[in-house]
Amino acid sequence: MGGGLSRFLKSLTEAIVGTFKGKSLEYVEVELRELENVFALIVMGSFIGLPSPPMTISLKLLPHMGRELIIASRVSERLDDMLGEMAGLFEVS
Amino acid sequence: MVNYRVVFFMGKGGVGKTTMAATYSLMKALNGARVLTVSLDPAHNLGDVFGTELSERPKEVVKGLQAIEIDYDAMIKKHLKRLTDKIKDIYGYLRIFNLDRYVDVLQHSPGVEEQAALERILEILKDNERRGKYDLIVFDTPPTGLMLRIVALPTISLIWVEKLLKLREAILTRRAAIERIAGEAPRVEVGGEVIKAATKPEEDPIYQELLSIKSEYSFINEVFKDRSRTYSVLVINPEVLPVLEAKRAKDFLSRLGMGVKYLIINKLIRMSNPPEELRLRMEFQRKALELANQYFSDLRVIEVPYLSREPRGVEELKGLTKFLSVME
Repeated sequence: MGGGLSRFLKSLTEAIVGTFKGKSLEYVEVELRELENVFALIVMGSFIGLPSPPMTISLKLLPHMGRELIIASRVSERLDDMLGEMAGLFEVS
Repeated sequence: MVNYRVVFFMGKGGVGKTTMAATYSLMKALNGARVLTVSLDPAHNLGDVFGTELSERPKEVVKGLQAIEIDYDAMIKKHLKRLTDKIKDIYGYLRIFNLDRYVDVLQHSPGVEEQAALERILEILKDNERRGKYDLIVFDTPPTGLMLRIVALPTISLIWVEKLLKLREAILTRRAAIERIAGEAPRVEVGGEVIKAATKPEEDPIYQELLSIKSEYSFINEVFKDRSRTYSVLVINPEVLPVLEAKRAKDFLSRLGMGVKYLIINKLIRMSNPPEELRLRMEFQRKALELANQYFSDLRVIEVPYLSREPRGVEELKGLTKFLSVME
């Protein structure tokens, strides 16, 4: 009997921790994606007419920016539904 | 740090910067210093003043004095080639961004000339740090506007680099948090290859590249701002416009933390009884000198008289050295 309760409490705790982990992971991932997007926009701003660092800095960083460029490109494709995504993340219906 | 001096000759176009820089360099070399004179002015005439043909490679003008004229086209190409080769290599598959075409037109983008000039200055200074070949490096600079943009570039770049480093740290902190929560670092597929994103500063190539840029610009800024080693000489003619431009240059340099030590008033006419035709000019000169006295009271003023013809070649420049003898 005691063993059954202990197992139940353990799995309940795991479920709660798992839910929080998943939720916090989701928030941090969105935050990270936006930071990486902003980083790409700042470094490559001259492409789209934004103020950007001196050209050499952008060029020196460019070879390592595969991930940031892909993220920036994905984010720009989904820009029209950013509100929807945020609403989903914060469970606003 | 190797002990050597760096002197910039600055001023409005046509005031005689090159002649003064060449004379000063010659005077120092004749006094036993090992001197390198570098012409950064795209409209080169350092070679004409020394009476010899100059190029990118140091050429001995007299014993102890070597000179070079920076080839801007070659310098920009070299500067961009290093950067674009790496980009084209890595981004071969990213044709969708048209990066390959973009990098080919970079040589026409604003700011590249200043950046390439700065890289060359950095190269010359670093080389001398390593080899200690010269006791004095004299830069004959392009007209004020361009030169001020060149010397401001390290400071501006450092502001950007600091901001980017902070942003990068924020990114790495979040990546590390994801790694802790999920048990693995974020990944991304680049060109069909799944890459694990760096989570620590020491393994992030962007962070490391930013640190390396920071270190280069900090070095050059340190040299530019070290008043015991580096100073600028402003060259003017006794006319109002060059005086006003020199004043703006001095203020700008002072905001950057760079020292200005001397003011050379070149082509000065001294006559007790000027002929009628020159009276008006003398009056303008008097006004310009008054203005110069007002603006540059903290600088040592050196007067160089108007000469009947421009000095050309080492022998004629030797005749001018007596006017600059007070310069350290």
